[in-house]
Amino acid sequence: MTDKLTARRRVVVTGMGAVTPVGLDVEEFWASLKAGRCGIGKIENFPLEDLYIHIAGEIKGFNPEKHVKSRKTQYGDRYSWFAGRAADEAWTQARLPVPFDKPYRAASIIGSGAGGFSTTENAYRDLFIHHKKATNPLTLLRIIGSSASAHVGIEYGIKGPTFATCSACSTATHAIGIGLDYIRNGLVDVAVTGASEAVLTYGSMRVWQAMRVLSPDGLRPFSKTRNGTALAEGAGVLVLEELEHARARGAPIFAEVLGYGMSSDSKDMVNPDVEGPRSAMQFALDDAGLAPTAIDYLNAHGTATTLNDVNETNAIKMVFGEHARKLAISSTKSMTGHLLGACGAVEAIACIKAMQDGFLPPTINLTEPDPKCDLDYVPNVGRAQKIRYTMSNSFAFGGLNAVLVFGPPPA
Amino acid sequence: MDETTVKIIDILKKHMKEPRDDITTETALADLKIESIDLAMIVFELEDTFGIEIPYNANDTEEAAAFKSVGSVVDRVKQVIAASAQKAAAKA
Repeated sequence: MTDKLTARRRVVVTGMGAVTPVGLDVEEFWASLKAGRCGIGKIENFPLEDLYIHIAGEIKGFNPEKHVKSRKTQYGDRYSWFAGRAADEAWTQARLPVPFDKPYRAASIIGSGAGGFSTTENAYRDLFIHHKKATNPLTLLRIIGSSASAHVGIEYGIKGPTFATCSACSTATHAIGIGLDYIRNGLVDVAVTGASEAVLTYGSMRVWQAMRVLSPDGLRPFSKTRNGTALAEGAGVLVLEELEHARARGAPIFAEVLGYGMSSDSKDMVNPDVEGPRSAMQFALDDAGLAPTAIDYLNAHGTATTLNDVNETNAIKMVFGEHARKLAISSTKSMTGHLLGACGAVEAIACIKAMQDGFLPPTINLTEPDPKCDLDYVPNVGRAQKIRYTMSNSFAFGGLNAVLVFGPPPA
Repeated sequence: MDETTVKIIDILKKHMKEPRDDITTETALADLKIESIDLAMIVFELEDTFGIEIPYNANDTEEAAAFKSVGSVVDRVKQVIAASAQKAAAKA
């Protein structure tokens, strides 16, 4: 394991960007998580019509002309706006040149679960209901799920691998994992990675309502009273960089990406299996060369569905054994809502901020714990604690699991 | 059995891997080996067939209780039909 660690190129995080219902940048996002502030509320961005689920984690008052720098990205779908803004924050923080000076040595891997969903919906409404004769010529470019990765690549002069990942709620974590691999393998030195999601529309809410997994009154992970998840929108982006590359240019280094694990349940589209999440967590630990006891904080997938929270708790117990009782776990979805494809990136940022700040973000709305969920979920109020290593879980419909492990900046 | 009950049992049978002919209002859904995604499909077909909307949530234990037996499904559907008829009458 030591040989493997010393032989391979190490990867660090030199920039972070977040667009979430609890903050339009990392600083505001993190301050909200620390304070236990909830971004889920009554939907205001579109008419509810006959919906019976009325809550979501919306981003209010987002104005592309004000919040997105790139003129080209402003012409994109809402999901590209969020990606553009998060990437801009991350790239600026990393103090990388625009355009990038070694264009083929950088990757832009920005995923999305659904791409330009609202563009599709509006275009089809115009065609089928309003019988318009033509659609906006940018419709196709807005819809395609790779448009955010292309926008970000164009903005920073990235000419290396550029594409989107797509694995429902594991999308962002897969994107970060692939970026990690590309840098380790020597393909690139810098990778802008993450995901964006913007599916809060009437049609999408109807589709989700039909899945029968949305809560009418709030997202309460690990609680006895939990009754489903709440959708949210936003984006998270990490700039990953090869350690020596970052050091040579005196870049800020926030954390090291130590491990990545992925697996598939290969069983059912909706019912999660304990073996898939267990193996993904184990693979991530193995990749990091860490014992389970090294992990101080785990950002859970924690969707507040009946099935996920018990299954995830059981998987954690299998991986961590007795250490599961000492491990601090929280679901920050209780505050952000479920950002779907983008959740893994903003939760990775929560892990890194937790390590930097020595603070465990809470699981809010946890006043009545489910007896089957009996670990330390940092209920309701966050707390200060020294945190050296963290893990972030993402589990998706279809049984697609991806897990990341982060550590402190290398000494 | 009335027409609504017969229709509902037909819908249930459609979504069973091995449809049975001995289903009555007393039959528990658990005995029909219906999985959660099948239940969502069944609820959708009930909504489509009767032109109603059932706010069923797979995560809500109270609501799920209304889907314990064939009889309780029939009761719930009839109740929603009556409620939406009342609403329509109020609108008219």
